[in-house]
Amino acid sequence: MTMVAPLPARRQAELFRHVSAEKAALYRAVMDAFAAAKRQFRLHLRPDELLAEGRWDALPAPPRLEELQTALNQLTEWGNLESQPDTTRVASIADFYRAKYLYRLSQGGEAVEAALQTFAQTLSRRAELQTVALEDIAQLLETLQALAEDNAPDAAKVHATLRDLVRVFEGLADNAQAFMAGIARSIELQQADAEAVLAYKRRLIDYLERFIGDLVGRSGGIARRIVALASRIETLLELAVQREARDAAPGDEAGQRDALTRGLLDWRERWHGLRHWFVADRHEPPQAELLRAKARAAIPQLLAAVAALNERRSGRSDRSADFRMLAHWFAACADDDQAHRLARAALALQPARHFALDPARQPGAQELPASTPWAAAPALRIHPRLREYGEAAPRGALPRVQVRDEERRLLAAQLQEEHRQIEAARQRLANGQPTRLSQLCTPDGPQGLDTHAFSLFLALLGEALAAQAHPDAAVERLSGDGLLRIRLEPLARGSHAEIRTSAGILAGRDHMLTITAVKDGT
Amino acid sequence: MNAPIAPIAAVRTPARTIALQQSLHRDEERCRALRALLMTPLMTATHPEFAAVRRHADELRTWFARETGWPLHVERDCARLYKRPADLGDASRGLVGYERRRYVLLCLACAVLERAEAQITLRLLGERLLALAADPLLKSRGFEFTLTVVHERRELVAVCRSLLALGILQRVAGDEESYARDSTAGAGEGADALYDVQRRVLAGLLAAVRGPSTWAAEQAPVTLDERLASLVNEQVPDSDEGQRTALRHHLARRLLDDPVVYLDTLDEAQRAYFVNQRGAMAARLCEATGLAAEQRAEGLALVDEDGELTDVAMPAEGTDAHATLLVAEHLAERLRADDTARPVAEADIATFLAGVRERYGRYWRRSAREEGAEHELARCALERLAQLRLVERTAAQVRPLPALARYALGDTEVRTTPAARTAQSDLF
Repeated sequence: MTMVAPLPARRQAELFRHVSAEKAALYRAVMDAFAAAKRQFRLHLRPDELLAEGRWDALPAPPRLEELQTALNQLTEWGNLESQPDTTRVASIADFYRAKYLYRLSQGGEAVEAALQTFAQTLSRRAELQTVALEDIAQLLETLQALAEDNAPDAAKVHATLRDLVRVFEGLADNAQAFMAGIARSIELQQADAEAVLAYKRRLIDYLERFIGDLVGRSGGIARRIVALASRIETLLELAVQREARDAAPGDEAGQRDALTRGLLDWRERWHGLRHWFVADRHEPPQAELLRAKARAAIPQLLAAVAALNERRSGRSDRSADFRMLAHWFAACADDDQAHRLARAALALQPARHFALDPARQPGAQELPASTPWAAAPALRIHPRLREYGEAAPRGALPRVQVRDEERRLLAAQLQEEHRQIEAARQRLANGQPTRLSQLCTPDGPQGLDTHAFSLFLALLGEALAAQAHPDAAVERLSGDGLLRIRLEPLARGSHAEIRTSAGILAGRDHMLTITAVKDGT
Repeated sequence: MNAPIAPIAAVRTPARTIALQQSLHRDEERCRALRALLMTPLMTATHPEFAAVRRHADELRTWFARETGWPLHVERDCARLYKRPADLGDASRGLVGYERRRYVLLCLACAVLERAEAQITLRLLGERLLALAADPLLKSRGFEFTLTVVHERRELVAVCRSLLALGILQRVAGDEESYARDSTAGAGEGADALYDVQRRVLAGLLAAVRGPSTWAAEQAPVTLDERLASLVNEQVPDSDEGQRTALRHHLARRLLDDPVVYLDTLDEAQRAYFVNQRGAMAARLCEATGLAAEQRAEGLALVDEDGELTDVAMPAEGTDAHATLLVAEHLAERLRADDTARPVAEADIATFLAGVRERYGRYWRRSAREEGAEHELARCALERLAQLRLVERTAAQVRPLPALARYALGDTEVRTTPAARTAQSDLF
């Protein structure tokens, strides 16, 4: 916990200025919205969220975003609110400049809010450590669950438990809020001096370890209990409110009913806040998860800051300082030539620079001994056009475009015929009937197979044989184009098949060959 | 099958061929990745060869470390080859279109971005840059930047475009042009641009061995040469082996980065090592990069047949390139005729160009054909030749360097071999 030094009297007075200022109604509405957010244990509000959620009944019309932004800035200046940079990524220039801050009640602003409310409560207590808080919340919820299972819950116990729950939870939320603000500061630490970072490191890492561990360990259980209580909580809250109403100052019946309704609304709001912390609400992740993500993200940030420090110590430098020093060096150059030399040494971005064309590769050039001077070596041959005109392509009109429709038609027809023949060969071969290799091929040549069918057959045979693991093993596989299935079963060891082709004779053990066409989708 | 039959062999052969093809493909891909790094030392994932660089990252890292001592860092979204130069005297290898002032702005912009969050706008960048530019030390060097006039906003935009081109910034919304044009700085969000800052790429920008800010005030380098040395000097082990490695790295860096390395630009130790080792060295470098070695008595050039591995092309198309070629040829003829390579006055080059204008001028762009344009043309041609280390410029004099002789192309040489000419590939 950080100790807050008492504000000087002038600053204290400023905290109340918004009440009497010109736009008091707007300021009050804004502060009310923050107070409501605070009651819901929300950590901070963006201006657009505020615009959507605030109650603007007291105003003639809801404020424009710009107006609201001005009011927020003013309240921040007076000390009622605190802002911290919003690091969410944006996609437009306008957003970059506008939605840069998250706002929350400042300690002073909070106190002012509390003071301004008729029922003055003591300032929120934040004595508990998170470990204790989470443990307490879990235990209190357990008690509450046990009470809820009772047919006639003890109102006093329910009330006490709920009250404790709220008190503990407020402490947790406050601590978390302080923590989030602290993380934002740790980003700035990257530029701070070494001692500050190192001192902060140990504390933060200890804190994070404990906190994340607890959060992971307990928030699941807490969320389960909250969900389990969902159906009965209304009854419990009513019990608590009725008991509270009895404590309240006696009044007429209508006043009592009003107090009852208001009390119930308050309690529902608190319960909603608690629920929102641990249980995901539609699209939004629970606050606890946000907090965990933020805490987890803080570790690499911190490590980066420490690494930067170590780099600085081990001779590697702060890049920003390097660039500033380099700017001085450039400014100190006598002329542009010196600057170019410095740039090459410092930035090393220059591309390679080489001669084009190798005379040795040109026709007629012989290998020369390395002792030949350039003047005695053959010179380059450069295309006469480039040499004469300074350009490689001739000028003038482009050559006429010829009509090639006839040739194209002929080519297409040839392609189509070839495709038809291959298709026919495929159909003839893929009959699904087992055939012996030796039968397929009579001594006069392959039976009934034309050139296309035969070359297709050879290709298939080659593919199948390549996949055969062992001479005695049957093999089955898809052809390379995936259109045919080939099955090859070796016959008896002594069998023999011979295929005569114009290129030679292919001989080996006889096989039973089955080729089937693969149907689409099989 | 008991007896091996033809189909089995017919199946196995393609398998072997495929394995061979795959290994060839791998080698070729690694070569392309290496060449891409030589051209783009700070490479983002948008580069077409980035995938290849990542695939071969380990081999490339080892190769660069062994041959040149250049560290290569390959990460998920960017690759950086720290191409520390061996020759610190070359003034033609800075950023294109930059001068002293713009470099200062680039450094200040990077200093801002280092401290910025994940996103920034052009306007905000400008504001924070102004704060850094107000440094009295910069003012004392005559640097002033206020962002109040259009040309200063254009300078900021130019720096921003460099950062975009390098991949350090990525545009999310808006554009720079409207910002540069908007004279009412500060009003209207239309005239602005929003960027994501790519931290990893930014981290790779500075290639210094030791950060310039790490020097204690009394040890900090003061002269330009000291500063250059402080940026590139690496620790060299105090052993014979270490010295030899340093020599080898020095020479390999020059061979890979520069068009030609002349023997007379090397000191004694370097020359002794180079004369002994240049054959083996050239062979190793050429094998990995696909370059070809041109070994001559005066030095060694690694030549790229396709002309892709260069930022200054020669020969090339266009009036300036044509003038460059004509000047090269003119100087080379003098070089061949007279071995002493006497310096030529720059004015003589302009006179020469004015003389050939009648013959070639009709193919040149209009502005180059006018009377008096030959001075500009000569200046441009000589600058190119100097960038390629084909001439040396001192005061108003030009001294041809030995490799210029490769561009000695007399008319006769080209025209008497019509057969060879048609056999050549299309362009050259």
